[in-house]
Amino acid sequence: MISNYLKLTWKVLLRHPFYTFITLFGITLTLTVLMVLTSFLDHLLGTHYPETKRDRSLYITRLVQKDTTHQGRNMGPMSFAFLKDYVKSLKTPENVGIATIFGFANTYVNGKRIKLNTKYTDADFWRVTEFDFVDGKPYTERNIDNGDHVAVITDDLRRQYFEDDEASVVGKFIDIESIKYRVIGVVKGSPVTRPYTYGDVYFPYTAPKSNYQDKGFRGRYLAIVLAKDKRDFPAIRTEYASNVGKIPLPQTDGGFTFHEMTTEANPYLEDFASVFLDGSRTTIVYSIIGFLMLMLMGLPAINLVNVNVSRIMERASEIGVRKAFGAPAKALLWQFIIENIFITLIGGMFALSLSFLIIQLINNSGWIPYADLTINFSVFAASIAVCLVFGLLSGVLPAYRMSKLKIVDALKS
Amino acid sequence: MLRHLLKLIWNKKGSHSLLIIEIWASFMVLFGVLSLIVYNLNNYLEPIGFEYKNVWVVDLNNNQDTTAIAEKTTQIMQRIRSYPQVASASRMSSNTPFSANTMNNSTNYQKISSMADDYYTDEEFSKTLDLPLTAGRWYLPEDRVSKSTPVVINKKLQEKLFGDENPLGKVLGNNDSESEGNQKTTFRVVGVVDKFKAKGEFMLDNPAIFKLMDKNDKWNKLVLIKTKAGTDATFEERLVKDIAAMAPGWGIEVSYLTESRKNRHNLTLVPVIIFLIISGFLLTNVALGLFGILNLGIARRRSEIGLRRAMGATEGSVTAQFLGEMWVLAAFSVILGLLFAVQFPIMNVFDIAAGVYLTAIAAAIVVIFVIVTLCAWYPSRQAARVQPALALHEE
Repeated sequence: MISNYLKLTWKVLLRHPFYTFITLFGITLTLTVLMVLTSFLDHLLGTHYPETKRDRSLYITRLVQKDTTHQGRNMGPMSFAFLKDYVKSLKTPENVGIATIFGFANTYVNGKRIKLNTKYTDADFWRVTEFDFVDGKPYTERNIDNGDHVAVITDDLRRQYFEDDEASVVGKFIDIESIKYRVIGVVKGSPVTRPYTYGDVYFPYTAPKSNYQDKGFRGRYLAIVLAKDKRDFPAIRTEYASNVGKIPLPQTDGGFTFHEMTTEANPYLEDFASVFLDGSRTTIVYSIIGFLMLMLMGLPAINLVNVNVSRIMERASEIGVRKAFGAPAKALLWQFIIENIFITLIGGMFALSLSFLIIQLINNSGWIPYADLTINFSVFAASIAVCLVFGLLSGVLPAYRMSKLKIVDALKS
Repeated sequence: MLRHLLKLIWNKKGSHSLLIIEIWASFMVLFGVLSLIVYNLNNYLEPIGFEYKNVWVVDLNNNQDTTAIAEKTTQIMQRIRSYPQVASASRMSSNTPFSANTMNNSTNYQKISSMADDYYTDEEFSKTLDLPLTAGRWYLPEDRVSKSTPVVINKKLQEKLFGDENPLGKVLGNNDSESEGNQKTTFRVVGVVDKFKAKGEFMLDNPAIFKLMDKNDKWNKLVLIKTKAGTDATFEERLVKDIAAMAPGWGIEVSYLTESRKNRHNLTLVPVIIFLIISGFLLTNVALGLFGILNLGIARRRSEIGLRRAMGATEGSVTAQFLGEMWVLAAFSVILGLLFAVQFPIMNVFDIAAGVYLTAIAAAIVVIFVIVTLCAWYPSRQAARVQPALALHEE
């Protein structure tokens, strides 16, 4: 029976290749845009290498200082001293890693310049993240206490600086801004879209130029707080708030007197959003972006409905003939349902291969180095379902109504 | 004719309302994307006003070193200027061309005040960036002794503050209440430049003011270096080594303006290209759909066409009827879309000039009508070719 319906569907689809093409085009386009978009969002916000513990991590990245009149405001990452006093001392978390936001440096090899993103971290940074060590190992508390000039570099930098992909470079020296660092480990690099772990070269925070000695509250450091379990988040946030609450106010920091100070430990998504959601006009901006997205998704849907509705009349005589030869309304209904599912699935297949291609293209283009976009199958399933609903509403419902027509009326048209 | 068309459309309001929604949605998407493009294109067509080729930026950071910062910076500047490869060098505040940093402040002349981008630079700045002056001169070392800080303003700020008045020699004030101890709070205009679009071609030509940097300034330690053509990374390495020897423990970061310009442009271009690709596909989708719907509609109206032809309507008038129907429908949708679109210039969303939105609206209307006409043309021609005898016979 089913195979009969499928054969019928196939014939119907081939009867008007142009309309089949329009329908498929719409479904494929909508699904592809949705898939690529969600896979990019997942790449930005999801739990991926090297932040494989992001789902149970809290990020402390910003300190906001305000004066009473709210005229002046200072905002930015914190100093090492602040994080050491108020974050490292937290009891609830499993571990706390500290790192700088990225900085820049240059290194020169054979008359060629390599631009480097630098990061100063503590030893726990390597424990709250899970970097793949291709060679060597991370620096430890011992290296930090000794103030060793050591560095962990990425495989990409190894290729550029040592111009050799195979041989071990551990123990060799890399000259960055006239200071020689001993390479202690080589990691697989992290994509630039993960700013808290991205870098080309990582130094212990006691290495030169890290400014960890700064006494103020604000500086260039941030903390990644690894909880034992996601359920500990509220406890950690409360503990952090009470730690920070002990700081007497008002205070003067870097020539700025402030009476209010806010800082929060947030999961990555909220931390990410707070960077963009700052300011009062954001609601307008976001409603416009939302409206635009709705349009982008809604247009193909309207188009699909439109084409389907217009084509119903064309099928009237077919329905009339089938009814005249004794087909019950149920059989007709099934035919339309299967027809719709069939075409949606074909569109889905196209969309899947197309998004796969686009994602491969993005991953390999070098547009984002170390990009690791993947297809999210739950999103795929959800969007297929939405397409099916639209297809059924626009194709099956009018067809069903038509199948209830009197045979004479149907045949007449 | 129009009344007849309206009647025809009203008769099939059910399916036509769906069509109107579709065209309206396409109009809104087009309006959004075109606003983005018109805004950026408008800015792109205005020159940036300075020369960035062969210019390097050296970012000095004193880190934990806190002794004699100003003296060391002055020494470093002298050393940099002494290299034969360096054509000219200038100190600048952190908002160097194409960087992510911006600084702005309100400046006033008598009662008129305006926000302006603030740049602290020194005497060599206009030479380093080939920034030509349209009136007056760039500030000179002698200007330091004067009571108020010498400043150069751009044309935009001149228009805002002075209108037609000659700005040279006029004294500007600063609304900023927290004046730092060593900064003078009045500014004397010594020159005018045409444009300075520091963030690249896609930036709006904002009002700008260049202030002479204090000789003992400790904070602004960025240096712009114009190198002679053919200078490569070997010199750069030497430069970094020499500076590192003069100021141990300092961070020295060198970048090229050509590179930062490219990064800056990508920030603008990548979203525009993504939107263009997506909306291109969307419109193709809509156009195909429209074409299909019209084709079906005309197939269903063969008898009507046959009757009209039999009554003496020419091929041209049948084509005109179907094209006209589509145009009326499109006009309905566009009017509906306009109700939404005009809110943008009225409410001044995103602080973009109303002209940008109006151009985008006009362009969107044109594109919608072109698409509708293209989609309706072939089906209408086919309708016109219907043989009256055949069509009536089928009936």
